[in-house]
Amino acid sequence: MMNLRDWWRRGSAFIWGSGALLTLSLVMITGLVGYIAVKGLGYFWPRPLVQVQGPEGPVLGEVTGREPAHGGTPAQIQFRVGNRDLYGQDFRWFKEAEISGWQTPSGAVLVERMEYGAFVGFVQALQRDGQPVAQGPGALVQARKALPDARRLRDRIQAMEKDRIGSVNTEMEALRVELRQAESARDAETRARLEQRQAQLQASYDRLQAELDHLRAESGRTTVLLSSVDGQTQELPLAGVVRLVPSNDLGVLGKTGVYLSRLWEFVWGDPRESNTEGGIFPAIFGTVMMVLIMSAMAVPLGVLAALFLREYAKQGWVVRAVRIAVNNLAGVPSIVFGIFGLGFFVYTVGGSIDRLFYPERLPTPTYGTGGILWASLTLALLTVPVVIVATEEALATVPRSQREASLALGATKWQTMRQVVLPGAMPGILTGLILAMARGAGEVAPLMLTGVVKLAPSMPLDGTFPFLHLDRKFMHLGFHIYDVGFQSPNSEAAKPMVFMTALLLLLVVLVLNLAALNLRRKLRARLGGSTF
Amino acid sequence: MREPSTSRARAQRLDRLMAWIISGGGLLIIAAVLGILVFIASQALPLFRPARSSARATVQVPAAPGAWLDEEGSALTLVEAASGFRTLTLPGGRSLDLPTSGPALPWQTFTPPTARGEVAVLGADNRLAYARFRWEKPNGEKDPARWTPDLTWNGETLVAPGLDRLFQARLIEGSGLGGVPEWRAVGLDAGGGLLHLSGMPDESGTPMAWKPLALPDNDRALAAVWGADGSHLLVGTRQGRLLLLEPENAEPLRAVHTFGEPITALGFALGQVSLLVGGERGSLGAFQVLRQDGRTRLDRLHTFQPMTGAVQGFMPSLRDKRFLAWSDRQVVVDHLTTERRLFQASVEGVRSGMLAARGDLLAVLDANGKLASWNLDAPHPEVSWKTLWGKVHYEGYAQPDHVWQSTGGSDDFEPKLSLVPLLFGTLKGTLFAMLFALPLAVFGALYTSQFASYRLKNTIKPAIEIMAALPSVVLGFIAGLVLAPLFEAAAIQVALLPFTCLAVGLILAPGWARLPRRFRAAWGEGREAVWLLPVLVMGLGLAMALGPWIETTFLRGDFRNWLYQAQGITYDQRNALVVGFAMGFAVIPIIFTISEDALSSVPKALSSASLACGASPWQTAWRVVLPTASPGIFSAIMVGFGRAIGETMIVLMATGNTPVMDWSPFNGMRTLAANIAVETPEAPVHGTLYRVLFLTALLLFALTFLLNTLAELIRQHLRKRYESF
Repeated sequence: MMNLRDWWRRGSAFIWGSGALLTLSLVMITGLVGYIAVKGLGYFWPRPLVQVQGPEGPVLGEVTGREPAHGGTPAQIQFRVGNRDLYGQDFRWFKEAEISGWQTPSGAVLVERMEYGAFVGFVQALQRDGQPVAQGPGALVQARKALPDARRLRDRIQAMEKDRIGSVNTEMEALRVELRQAESARDAETRARLEQRQAQLQASYDRLQAELDHLRAESGRTTVLLSSVDGQTQELPLAGVVRLVPSNDLGVLGKTGVYLSRLWEFVWGDPRESNTEGGIFPAIFGTVMMVLIMSAMAVPLGVLAALFLREYAKQGWVVRAVRIAVNNLAGVPSIVFGIFGLGFFVYTVGGSIDRLFYPERLPTPTYGTGGILWASLTLALLTVPVVIVATEEALATVPRSQREASLALGATKWQTMRQVVLPGAMPGILTGLILAMARGAGEVAPLMLTGVVKLAPSMPLDGTFPFLHLDRKFMHLGFHIYDVGFQSPNSEAAKPMVFMTALLLLLVVLVLNLAALNLRRKLRARLGGSTF
Repeated sequence: MREPSTSRARAQRLDRLMAWIISGGGLLIIAAVLGILVFIASQALPLFRPARSSARATVQVPAAPGAWLDEEGSALTLVEAASGFRTLTLPGGRSLDLPTSGPALPWQTFTPPTARGEVAVLGADNRLAYARFRWEKPNGEKDPARWTPDLTWNGETLVAPGLDRLFQARLIEGSGLGGVPEWRAVGLDAGGGLLHLSGMPDESGTPMAWKPLALPDNDRALAAVWGADGSHLLVGTRQGRLLLLEPENAEPLRAVHTFGEPITALGFALGQVSLLVGGERGSLGAFQVLRQDGRTRLDRLHTFQPMTGAVQGFMPSLRDKRFLAWSDRQVVVDHLTTERRLFQASVEGVRSGMLAARGDLLAVLDANGKLASWNLDAPHPEVSWKTLWGKVHYEGYAQPDHVWQSTGGSDDFEPKLSLVPLLFGTLKGTLFAMLFALPLAVFGALYTSQFASYRLKNTIKPAIEIMAALPSVVLGFIAGLVLAPLFEAAAIQVALLPFTCLAVGLILAPGWARLPRRFRAAWGEGREAVWLLPVLVMGLGLAMALGPWIETTFLRGDFRNWLYQAQGITYDQRNALVVGFAMGFAVIPIIFTISEDALSSVPKALSSASLACGASPWQTAWRVVLPTASPGIFSAIMVGFGRAIGETMIVLMATGNTPVMDWSPFNGMRTLAANIAVETPEAPVHGTLYRVLFLTALLLFALTFLLNTLAELIRQHLRKRYESF
């Protein structure tokens, strides 16, 4: 026991205590990342469809939650029963004591639909023009076979609605503005020409519309007849079905297939059902675009400022003060940049641009409202200190003797910079760029004021002239998390989507940070190993 | 071949150009960075600009006892007993005719026009009617020549004779049967006795009766108005008392307030809640009727700078809480809530005063028909240093308080913009975050820098750096959607966790101490953190096992019910604990990294000397290393503090964002940063709220900038001190 008292007196216990606090921090980090990963990645795996006898009849669905008995309330089980259009809610809680007769019936199918979320039930028949093509157990197989064709048809319809009719609409809108100008200028000749063009457009619009109507009619011909576990039936066009998942009949390979297909849709698809289903491609795209534009602004300016501070400015208390100010700017809350971006870029600069260049569209603002350009500029301001600090650090690692050697050979200061200093500092500048990108990708608060939206009708980059639309609003992964998780009317159903989105954002940020970490380590190793 | 000298000259030209570009660009960036501060300040500062006014040309118009000014200030409506309504365009004085209708001329008495252009008239035929005058302006036409006057009469009814002077008469919309407006009128008889009338307009032809109302102590009424809902009457008397009467009651007197001088004018500010009271010697005050615990009382809200001369009347703005008051010698515009005087001018012999609906234009008409008018530019009268930081007595509140409530349902809602609840919320959130983060980060850093093995250190540091990179929106989402329900369901288990871990550790410690010294030296030292992992897991298991037992045994089965019933504390799901936890997560890596830097760079000579003197490693770390590095740790704490103050997404997602002032860890709050995110998208550009939000941004900017600069200066100082070793 002497040993123990000594252990305590000499403070080893405190070492253990401080170690415990560190362990706790580490456990929390790994726990957090792990939890998000498990919750997010597990969501796409098809779960068995369980049928039980509930208090009001049979229930079929995925078991999504369990709540143990707690202070008087009995143990409960949460089922995702789907069929929102029939039951009014996706999820239902049952007391564990009230349900009985667990089974996983063969043939039970989870139908992912374009609208109203999932349908959970059985496929009764596959029909064409109201006539059954296949019935009974074969119907499911036939329906799954027919699904790719239906999907192709749906894609064609969507492409037509979005691209071809969309571009006609854009042109018509532009024409309308021109026409209004011509009317106010009383220019009869132009007006006649414009009206003629308008008629042409209208004709092509009508043609497209007819073609579209035909396709729509075609896509409505093949339908599936579905029935829920409590006997309600529903006929659904096959084109409205995203996926038929007979979870109970799938092997591991089949489940993996479903998993991958769901993952693919998540990354590359468009969102459905107010962002609670489908994919998040527009959000990924918006984030990437925003970060790219931001980097294009922040990096050159940051490098310029760092060069000035370290190489060109006279070192003195002013430069020191400025350096402190720039460093501290990195600590200024991002929301402050957000409100600055709104007041300065959106209202002041954007408003002026609208008055000068787009007076015919007023009072509808073009640049005088949030958009990807203003959001990127705001974030560029936010991340410029990161670039400046990293670049300065890198410039400091370039040995003095190398510069002196270059200057002694008769090179000018700029030549020395370009040929010796900047190449030497490149890894550091790259680190700054990556860190800035990571910070920019993870920021949400400033974007909420400067142009992010929950659902953007069109992407900032598309096939209509001038291709890059800097005035458009955009979607963002981080805002998607906030919006779907906290502003969505059906946040329970959307929760797995939020986990998955969070995982993706986390992945992007962590990979960028790890890259920066590695680069910096290499840079430091080089510095440490140099003999200058 | 090119001449070497030209190539050299070109290189030098390029060099000069690049030097110029880099210097220019660098300076530009720095100017832009500082320009942010200037821009934010420029958006916020107009809040504090004093009101400005400019006199307009004086115009001669026919003298009349009642007058009403259009909101553009380009048309005047005069009311006279002999000829009724007449309109004039300004400044030309072109007269427009009005269709004659309503009670028979000449009128016996009428009320002065209200801010909305409404006049109650008692005609020669004993008919009482309510006139509403307005201008039809096609397509927002600015030229009064193209306007057409629109006069509508309402509620016409026959009343009994006997009234000599009408103080006020109005129609209360939809209070009667079937939504028919009801009359409320008050005035004096020829002998100076108070008469009142209430009820629906009579259709059958029997006149409505005036009912006398006796005042206590034979007092005489000098002014009287009906309360907004028409249930009580407010009377100002010659003996300087303000009376609250309920005429329908057998004992009508409800409340008395001694004003101190004869009350010559009564009126309401926008919203008809605050009663404006003016005295014979120029005193000005505002009162509200407050019903509390079944009692009705008159509550003094505000006192304004006194005027010169006896107060004659009031006219409220229809946009905000400013109002015009005039005496026979002076005209002023005051703001109700801030008690600020926005305008004053001395004018002799004022008969009536007018404030345009938007409150940006005022005019007075004297007995000779001289119309003097002023433009008033006071865009943000409701904001003063006092309303932002001090307690303000708002309408409907029993006492002065700090309130943030920027938007409301109705048009006459008054924004309440106290920054105190927001600052309080910010500090509360920050405090809880620091309470959680500080021990973890500082002790973690101490362990890492002093005791951890080299390999462990190399794993810990990148892990913590990764933690710093976690986007706050992810933390906020976890806090709001995972932790908040978890804390709610398993509050006891969470609270038990530290104790169970400690208990497990203490139980296992003797066992560890008995292990062979060699084994401990080889596997334990530097790897304590790893060995503690199973302890943590066991502690967690123990907490989960004990939690339900404690809850059923001591807390009647449910923690939240117990908290509410036994302690009177409500439990919000998204509360300060959750925020503290999540925000602590965000600041741990910052504090950790800077502290670790400071601790690691304590000169080896110091700790070696201490160890050589026989101190144990912990004694060395605690008594030598930590005190030496304490300025660095202090600077780490400040940087962490700065981060927590400005954190937006976590607070936004993990609290209910209610601006309450309550230290309870189980309640939420609203912080300055989250408030900007919530309110800015809805704030009208360059409006008061917009500017106040910029002011809060400026505050955040200044606060974090100050903290960070201080931290940086301390660090630089420390670096210099270590250099001497």
